[in-house]
Amino acid sequence: MTHHRVWDPFIRVFHWSVVTLFFANAFVVDDDSKLHHYVGYAVAAALVLRLAWGLIGPTYARFAQFAPSPAGVTAQLSDMATGRKRAHLGHTPLGALMIFNLLLSLAGIALTGYLMTTDMFWGVAWPEDLHEALVTWTEISVVLHVVAVIWESRRTGVNLPRAMVTGIKDIPDGLQIEP
Amino acid sequence: MTRHAPYGLMILIAAQLLCAVFFLGDVVADGLEAGWPHFMDWHFGVEALAALALIAGVGFEIRTLMALLRREAHLKEQLGLAAGAFHEIVTQRFADWGLTPSEQDVALFTLKGLAIPEIATLRGSAEGTVKAHLGGIYRKAGVNSRGAFLALFIEDLMTQPADPVPHHPTPVSPTGT
Ligand code: HEM
Repeated sequence: MTHHRVWDPFIRVFHWSVVTLFFANAFVVDDDSKLHHYVGYAVAAALVLRLAWGLIGPTYARFAQFAPSPAGVTAQLSDMATGRKRAHLGHTPLGALMIFNLLLSLAGIALTGYLMTTDMFWGVAWPEDLHEALVTWTEISVVLHVVAVIWESRRTGVNLPRAMVTGIKDIPDGLQIEP
Repeated sequence: MTRHAPYGLMILIAAQLLCAVFFLGDVVADGLEAGWPHFMDWHFGVEALAALALIAGVGFEIRTLMALLRREAHLKEQLGLAAGAFHEIVTQRFADWGLTPSEQDVALFTLKGLAIPEIATLRGSAEGTVKAHLGGIYRKAGVNSRGAFLALFIEDLMTQPADPVPHHPTPVSPTGT
């Protein structure tokens, strides 16, 4: 078993705050309340910081480190098809696709939510429709995200949720390690 | 035989998966709205059937994609001796025996003469796991040793280059492949 410090404190705080804030706004907080707006602004602020961190942060936080390539995606799918295992220190190629999807969808939700509050779009239907469609889309994505995280943890023997809590990936011996 | 990754198929699967999710969501929403007595009206039935057909299609495509990727992964390590045709026979046998994807991978490495520790390294799994896979392979193939397992394929190997149509116990339809 080898240990690799991969997720810095910012990434971890970002992740679990986004989880909490998204869950709160989607299922708990009243849609028409002031609080719903504040939570939305908090998500937007977190996303702006994440964007900056993805450009200037440590290695595994950088978008360039985990930008998925077609060859990487194929290799991961081939591993699944043959039952072979390989560990990734950063996000896996398929994981990275989901992460970009989640980050962009959350940004879209924040943006359309903001538009609904502006005078310009007062009474205009599409920002609200789009806002709701994106929330549904994100909910479906999150379910897939969590299922995929559990699936990959079981497949490769690397506990991914724990790494997102402690920042450290524990990789079983014998696994070939990819960046 | 393609040497490219099947990107087209991957994109098709992703796109159809999206359609399936929306379609299914729509059907479920319609069903909930219609309520129980109307649940069975023909409009809903047709929609539900169409959604199920789409999902079945996606499932089939995923199986095809996985088989393609397996084939690519196996042929990539081919050492030149055995060409694609021999690989067809081997995979047909594996399928007849009902080997799992992992067992197929281990069986192929074994056919190529790799030892258990080497296979374990290549697959990123423990030696014990590879031994367990081998146990499963021998049991399903009805043999009890590596030698006996290899012997099952010797005949194929020897007849293969001279004869493009394999005349082996394994049924191969003349129109197939
Ligand atoms: C209990 C539920 C959840 C668990 C266990 C979980 C777990 C994880 C794990 C393990 C990773 C790292 C994946 C990897 O190793 O490559 C990750 C990344 C991520 N997850 Fe989650 N997740 C959960 C819910 C959510 C939710 C609700 C959202 C958004 C609405 C979300 C958004 C993200 C994002 C954006 C990343 C990328 C992190 C980054 O690099 O910035 N997750 N999650």
